[in-house]
Amino acid sequence: MSRLFLVWAVQAYVAGAAVGIAAPVIGCFLVQRRLSLIGDAVGHLAFAGVGLGVAIGVAPLWGALAIAVIGAIGLEWLRVRGRLAGDLSLALVFYLGLALGLVIISARGGLTASVQGVLFGSIFTITWGDVAAIAALCAVVVTFTAVFYKELVAVALDEETARASGLPVDRLNVLLVVLTALLVAAGMRVVGLLLIASLLVVPVAAGSRLAHSFRGSMFWAATAGLFSAIVGLVIALVQGEVSPGGTIVLTSAVVFVLAAVLGRRAARRHPRTVAS
Amino acid sequence: MRDVMAAAASGLTVEVSGLRFGYGAAPIFDGLDLRLEPGEFAVLAGANGSGKSTLLRLLVGLLRPEAGTVRVLGGSPTDPSILRRIGYAPQGLRTVTSLPVSVTEVVAAGLVPSKPLFGRMGRSDWRRVNAAIDAVGLGDLSAECLFELSGGQQQRAILARALVGDPELLLLDEPTTGIDPAARPGVVREFHRRAEAGATVVAVSHDPDEFHEVCERILVLEEGRLEPITHDEFHHRYHQHAGRT
Repeated sequence: MSRLFLVWAVQAYVAGAAVGIAAPVIGCFLVQRRLSLIGDAVGHLAFAGVGLGVAIGVAPLWGALAIAVIGAIGLEWLRVRGRLAGDLSLALVFYLGLALGLVIISARGGLTASVQGVLFGSIFTITWGDVAAIAALCAVVVTFTAVFYKELVAVALDEETARASGLPVDRLNVLLVVLTALLVAAGMRVVGLLLIASLLVVPVAAGSRLAHSFRGSMFWAATAGLFSAIVGLVIALVQGEVSPGGTIVLTSAVVFVLAAVLGRRAARRHPRTVAS
Repeated sequence: MRDVMAAAASGLTVEVSGLRFGYGAAPIFDGLDLRLEPGEFAVLAGANGSGKSTLLRLLVGLLRPEAGTVRVLGGSPTDPSILRRIGYAPQGLRTVTSLPVSVTEVVAAGLVPSKPLFGRMGRSDWRRVNAAIDAVGLGDLSAECLFELSGGQQQRAILARALVGDPELLLLDEPTTGIDPAARPGVVREFHRRAEAGATVVAVSHDPDEFHEVCERILVLEEGRLEPITHDEFHHRYHQHAGRT
């Protein structure tokens, strides 16, 4: 139990909490707009960024960040022009990003445990510098979401009517995908590029079962994300051998099941009478 | 309510001339003209596919004309500063939503374009939101999730979103669809009140009778042209058509 309070455990709590809160905050807009898979696509592209970073001698985080941002803007450009409809286009992006990263990293002889850490997280090996970078990226995500909250909600509710009322919809959409890319880069060391998209979606699904409004969903989603991150880390620390990225995501799945059950019970106990 | 009369005193609210537009080779409109004055209440009628909704989408800049000019409130419908002065209510929500959204949140979204980018919603803004919700008779349901409401109640929330900014031009696409007969007169009276205050109201409807007491002018879209007729003339044509079919 003593390891729960070691320095590297505290570093993991801070980084995990930051991503646990920020991921569902931005995830609410993605889920509402049925763009849940964008997080996965950006995650796979970020792996190519890790490879490029290794190739040119840049830290994996910055390589992932650069390619994730460029890739996210590219994905949005394709979506707006109707060239990213359906799951086939996104699947192509997944495999292209993963294969590109794999080829570059293997060519550099870098297929080591560090790559596993990029794909599945390595939160117990991060430094205070990593924690600061992760916290800063998450702070940018939450701050920009707060500043542009009302505009992002208006677009998420009805993009066409928002456009017809003069809102800069295209620029807000680019902002949303760039924030998603920042969050993906921040989550790379926490749960890994293959699992970060789950934190954009699963806590949001849980929050939506407990609320009757968008704002309420976001509050409960962030709470579920924070709870999942901390409890998942504690489970991994106590057990000692399992992957913390996996325990965080599995905890969020359990939270979702509990939220679904509790939400249904609450609805039965307090039926909302709606006049016709 | 903002003094829309002063703003509209400069000229026509809607001025469309020589409009040509089509989705394919054959144009829906070819040489369409339309002029609406401040405070005018017009019902836009016509058969399915005649282009009623398309015309509204052209007026809010969602579609671009192939030829001709479209001017609203003295400017281009692609100008955000013009669009902020228009209240547009399409048929239903354009997005299938995944998360719960309250009626208040839906209606408040109608005020967002008129707020500065970094501006927060203040008390007066929330008062306007509540007033718009009350105006369509949803006062008791403002905190409810939109998708737990009936189709008619959802439609009233969408109308409140169009009304909340006190627009100078209201473009309403089949605004009474799904609303129960008891609630319809109240909603129509609210549109009339807006027109009397100086706003120009255009309502697409298959049943212009609903607007008989508040609007004398029906604009019928036929073969890409607009023809102004009276309610009696509309009845006459409708019954003749019904008799033939």
